[in-house]
Amino acid sequence: MEKEKRKTVFQAVDEYFKRAETMAERMFASGWNEVACSIEPLSNIFVGATEVVVTIDLPYCDSESMKLKIIDEDTLEVYAKTRKMIRLDDFGIKHRKGEFSCFHTVIHVPVPVNEEGMSSKLKRGVLEIRLPRAI
Amino acid sequence: MDAIRFVERHEVPKKFTLVVGLPDVGLVGVVATSHLVSSLELKEVASIESELFPPIIVLHEGVPKSPVRVFSSAEIVAIVSETAIPANAIHPLADTIVNWASSKGAKSVVSVGGMAVQNRQDIEKPKVFAAVSDKSVSKWIKDAAEILGEGYIVGPYGLILKRCAELGIPAITLLTQSFYNYPDPEAAAAAVLALNKILNLNVDVSELLHKGEEIRLRAKDVMKRTQAEMAKMNKSQEYDIPPLYG
Repeated sequence: MEKEKRKTVFQAVDEYFKRAETMAERMFASGWNEVACSIEPLSNIFVGATEVVVTIDLPYCDSESMKLKIIDEDTLEVYAKTRKMIRLDDFGIKHRKGEFSCFHTVIHVPVPVNEEGMSSKLKRGVLEIRLPRAI
Repeated sequence: MDAIRFVERHEVPKKFTLVVGLPDVGLVGVVATSHLVSSLELKEVASIESELFPPIIVLHEGVPKSPVRVFSSAEIVAIVSETAIPANAIHPLADTIVNWASSKGAKSVVSVGGMAVQNRQDIEKPKVFAAVSDKSVSKWIKDAAEILGEGYIVGPYGLILKRCAELGIPAITLLTQSFYNYPDPEAAAAAVLALNKILNLNVDVSELLHKGEEIRLRAKDVMKRTQAEMAKMNKSQEYDIPPLYG
């Protein structure tokens, strides 16, 4: 709350537009980052009364290869190394030469959350992260 | 010129069953119907063209193709789309598909889709549900699916079912429990097994399950674009409870 108060109106508006831009970019970008060799995974957020549940689709990944980090009280970063190198060539794409070794995403959570008490499980190739809400 | 039209390149057989696989929840219909097309070696016979669709073509083995295509054998005709259908094209597309099926003398229409469930991760064997155009069609389902009684169906499959009912074409919409916005090959496999029973087919699903991770990755981008279109058509209304019953 204190943090919110310190922001000027201009900063808040600027932040809002930056987030809107990021969301729009994510929605329309292909999600295959050839420079960083990473793939933006599909994800979902459910906001509950006491916790936030984030799910992420991570084919070719094992639970040991995941790294989860709360960057800010409302931003979650997820990195997951793939079991094998994924090449665009494998999908018959010849005009681009991308090779991908991980999934990587930075997810904005709509409410503040606590890292303490965070839990996760990988089942059916989908990572489920439970984050207690900061109250 | 019609907003949406079939462009036939080869003759379409009479008295066929039409299977429809359009991008929807979990891409169940697209994955299941594509598997049917390759397993039964259906031949490409037509495409569906429209200015309402995004201006794209898809290249396969260097040959430009329409992303919405029609495949056929002597008894089965399948429609598969490789691109998300814009929400504003859903109504005319559903009408055009059913009118075309009627003009060709289709004996039935089976649409294949997903039904999003929040606890999908915990479900070992996704259940298949069916909505029918007429109560007399229920007997075709046998034990392949559980008949839906109450609820909403949002999107092309609901409209196809309604239009078929209006024209007296027996129709079934198969909805398999699936992830909402993640491609779900396991759910697609369950849908194919249900199709096997209803249409007396013998399509093996082991390859579909074996290649699950590859399919999920390959279908990721279409799923993302489909999700944006599902939001525009208020797909979440399928979770609502209708106020009237009976």
